[in-house]
Amino acid sequence: MIRQPISFRAHIALGVVSVVVLLTGYTALSYRQHQRNPSDKTIPNWSQLADGVTRVLKPQDRYDGASWLWTDAKATFTRHFSGLAIGVLVAVVLGLGMGCFTPIEALLLPPLSCLAKIPPTAMLAVFFVLVGTGMELYIAMIAFGVIPTLAQSIYQSARTDVPEELIYKAYTLGASHPELIWNVTFKQILPRIIEAVRLQVGPAMVYLIAAEYAIGDIGFGFRLRMQQRLSDMSTVYIYLAVLAAVGFLMDYSLTWLRRLLCPWFGK
Amino acid sequence: MHDIVLECRGVSKRFGDHAVLHDVNLKIARGQIVSLVGPSGCGKSTLLRAILGTHPPDSGEVLMNGKPITGPGRDRGIVYQRYGLYPFLTARQNVAFGPMLDETNLAYRFFQFPNWLKLRKQHLAGADDMLTRVQMGKALHRYPEELSGGMCQRVAIAQALMMKPEILLLDEPFGALDEATREEMQEMLLKLYAENLAAKAAGKKPPYTILIITHELNEAIYVADRVLGLSQHWRWEDTGGPSHPGATIIYDAVSPVFSKDVEAEAAAFVRQREEMRRVIFEPSERFGRESHTRFWQQCAAGAGVGMMAPIP
Amino acid sequence: MTHSHPAWMLTCLMALAAAGCGGGATTATPATSSASDAPADMPSFSLAWSEYPSWSVFGVAHRRKLIDGAKGKLGPIEEKWKVDIELKQADYDPCLQMYASASCDAVCITNIDILSPSVSRPGVAILPTSTSDGADACIVEGIEDVDQLRGHKVFGLPKSVSEYCFVRCLEELGKNEADYEFASSDPGAAALAMQQGQEEYQAIMVWNPYVLQTLRTRENTKVLFDSTKIPGEIIDMVVVGQDSLKKPGADAFCHAVIDCYYEMNKIIEAPATRNEALVQIGEDFSDLKLEDMTLVVQQTKFYKTADEGSHVLGGGELPKTMETVMSFCEKHQMFDGSPKLGFGAAKDGEQVNVRFDDSYIKAVKASTAAGGTE
Repeated sequence: MIRQPISFRAHIALGVVSVVVLLTGYTALSYRQHQRNPSDKTIPNWSQLADGVTRVLKPQDRYDGASWLWTDAKATFTRHFSGLAIGVLVAVVLGLGMGCFTPIEALLLPPLSCLAKIPPTAMLAVFFVLVGTGMELYIAMIAFGVIPTLAQSIYQSARTDVPEELIYKAYTLGASHPELIWNVTFKQILPRIIEAVRLQVGPAMVYLIAAEYAIGDIGFGFRLRMQQRLSDMSTVYIYLAVLAAVGFLMDYSLTWLRRLLCPWFGK
Repeated sequence: MHDIVLECRGVSKRFGDHAVLHDVNLKIARGQIVSLVGPSGCGKSTLLRAILGTHPPDSGEVLMNGKPITGPGRDRGIVYQRYGLYPFLTARQNVAFGPMLDETNLAYRFFQFPNWLKLRKQHLAGADDMLTRVQMGKALHRYPEELSGGMCQRVAIAQALMMKPEILLLDEPFGALDEATREEMQEMLLKLYAENLAAKAAGKKPPYTILIITHELNEAIYVADRVLGLSQHWRWEDTGGPSHPGATIIYDAVSPVFSKDVEAEAAAFVRQREEMRRVIFEPSERFGRESHTRFWQQCAAGAGVGMMAPIP
Repeated sequence: MTHSHPAWMLTCLMALAAAGCGGGATTATPATSSASDAPADMPSFSLAWSEYPSWSVFGVAHRRKLIDGAKGKLGPIEEKWKVDIELKQADYDPCLQMYASASCDAVCITNIDILSPSVSRPGVAILPTSTSDGADACIVEGIEDVDQLRGHKVFGLPKSVSEYCFVRCLEELGKNEADYEFASSDPGAAALAMQQGQEEYQAIMVWNPYVLQTLRTRENTKVLFDSTKIPGEIIDMVVVGQDSLKKPGADAFCHAVIDCYYEMNKIIEAPATRNEALVQIGEDFSDLKLEDMTLVVQQTKFYKTADEGSHVLGGGELPKTMETVMSFCEKHQMFDGSPKLGFGAAKDGEQVNVRFDDSYIKAVKASTAAGGTE
């Protein structure tokens, strides 16, 4: 029978097993590469990775004593967060608007569905013209990537996750239209909004890294490009690990936020 | 003469080619519990929606206290069969929801937050009170998914009554519940009716006017003091139209308070039920509109019961 | 629909790319009639190249059927030297990674960029293909001279040929590198930004085809200085990994590649076939037309004959040039651990990271003179 539960310990144990398998696989891969070429740097072994950690933490004159990791992390995550914040805000407004008012849906849904299919990485040149470079460009890239899909997702949710009975009932309880949107529709779909945002955290980072790759002078994308050119894969792997860890943390925080704000959902 | 709360005049509705309602006329006086029965698909929900104001009729009008309605409003409360409560609110928050929406707006709640907090405490206290009256005192802080079906419907009724609507509309509210719970809920309605009678005796306005839609004949007769039958099985040829114009009110009679224990009354109960089954539900027996819509004549003749009983 | 660990997906994708399996590598499409199949025991070697005038020559050689870039298929030159050449085309950065991770035997690379990967994979430069003689330039808009450049950011790819050219040109002009600001940007993006007239982008340091494109598209742009100040310092070449040279048939491979290159140059120089060949190279180089390509092959000065090649690779200028290059790289922290350079044929017990060895060119020249192929 499917969906049979397993004990909590078994859950944790299996998770640990998969991580161990990954790490072992990597170690084996690195070992094999080093057999072929002892001075290989493309698949670093653990001591090379340790060197990488030292390197990214070393204070740099160029950044007034801050390390690569700190400078890049500050830049990248600030951009990521700002872009996401703006993207989510606009998407919620658009999605709610479309979900609650049919004229807005008729107006916005066709362009949004088309825009959702265009990868923002292909639009870098267009954004150059529209917003120049600098923080605006990163925010534009992330927002453009996130908004169409997220707005559609929220719109769908507003249409199908709020039973019409609850809406009519609200009117009989004396609700005005704004109250209906905020106190009924928004509160009802909030857990789904948070879930949809969770799904966009990864893609937002992809668009950001792509932009930093091309035009950044600090940030993860920039550093990855520079170090890859110089075959400094230890730094690259360290940065990838940091990205993975932060991504996992954001994922977890959003789930926690959902449980905090919507204790009634999905028990 | 009578304090008419809700009136439907000539309400008709069709969906494309399909005619649903034809010339529905009814008047509900304050303090009545009226049950509306009919075969499946005859248009009870359509009529309810027309009264609620969410789906206006094609012709005719719906009047509340003599004034035509323009959409849903707080004078008509509603309890649905499913999706009774807001899943993101606890029981007491659900019941306090109405006062919050009605008495304040978003700007007030945001900009005058301290005042709003004070007001909210009052609302919640009132909600707790109301819930205790419907025997839900122990479940104040629970979310709807933690409550059973019957408990949800109790809270939903409390939520609607909190607003003191002119009329409370119940759309097959006990359909999804088991027998025992259904009986409890029926007792609750009868208690409300008892309050009406007490008010009448004291010369005050009765607090509850209820229209309950059900397909359960027993329930209809038991709970209500008046039964309406909406059916498509009537002699529509009398109207002279080319095709079936839709369902209409084909039965409207007093429904006395029966005591199940007294044998004579049990027999009368069965007789009325049989009559209703023949007139409203039986496709092969079709009557004209006048034959069984006798409610107001009955009242005029002094045969009214409960709220409509003549005052000595 | 649940989604777990988007960051893991990103990690895996980037790890794959980083390990050199991605990067848009494609093999040349197989030719049809004049190719023959390689016998099973024939050694096969791969050469990674990216779009650049003197490297696109290999792509054109495949199209003109001098060699067959598909693995296991032979063109006339491969049959002559009895070795199978496999061509792998990719962007420049992935080519570097392919070399470093030993995913290819030989790579088309500059003398500046070979130093860093050579620390983990030593190699031998067997063939200089061209030098930048105007192909790398500082393009400005609204700036009259080098002194005016001081207040502006110059956008280009750091730690690359662009920055090298920039720094060296300043040196040649007697200016101090510290007075100027080199800002990081992809050359394509910088060129685009300048073409669109973005405020900040008044000076960029880029390579062809962006040089030509920008000059053409944007009014009032001009070249402030370029690599004509430092001819012969930036050398484009073919480097073979030392580990690959140990494989049987390696010498034949080197000879075949060199032979192919000089044969193509003969075709380019011959009046009858020149225009056609230039157009073909242009198709593999940002689709430039004949007029532009004529200019391009001046700015990227080909080393057309074995004599020229030998002179560059084995001559006395090279060690001095490489010293300048090394000091730039060290100053700009381009590698971990200093690569050792060697010049001439391998000596016993000598461990170098990059060797410049013209003996292969000499061998091809001797064989051609003796065998008398046209």
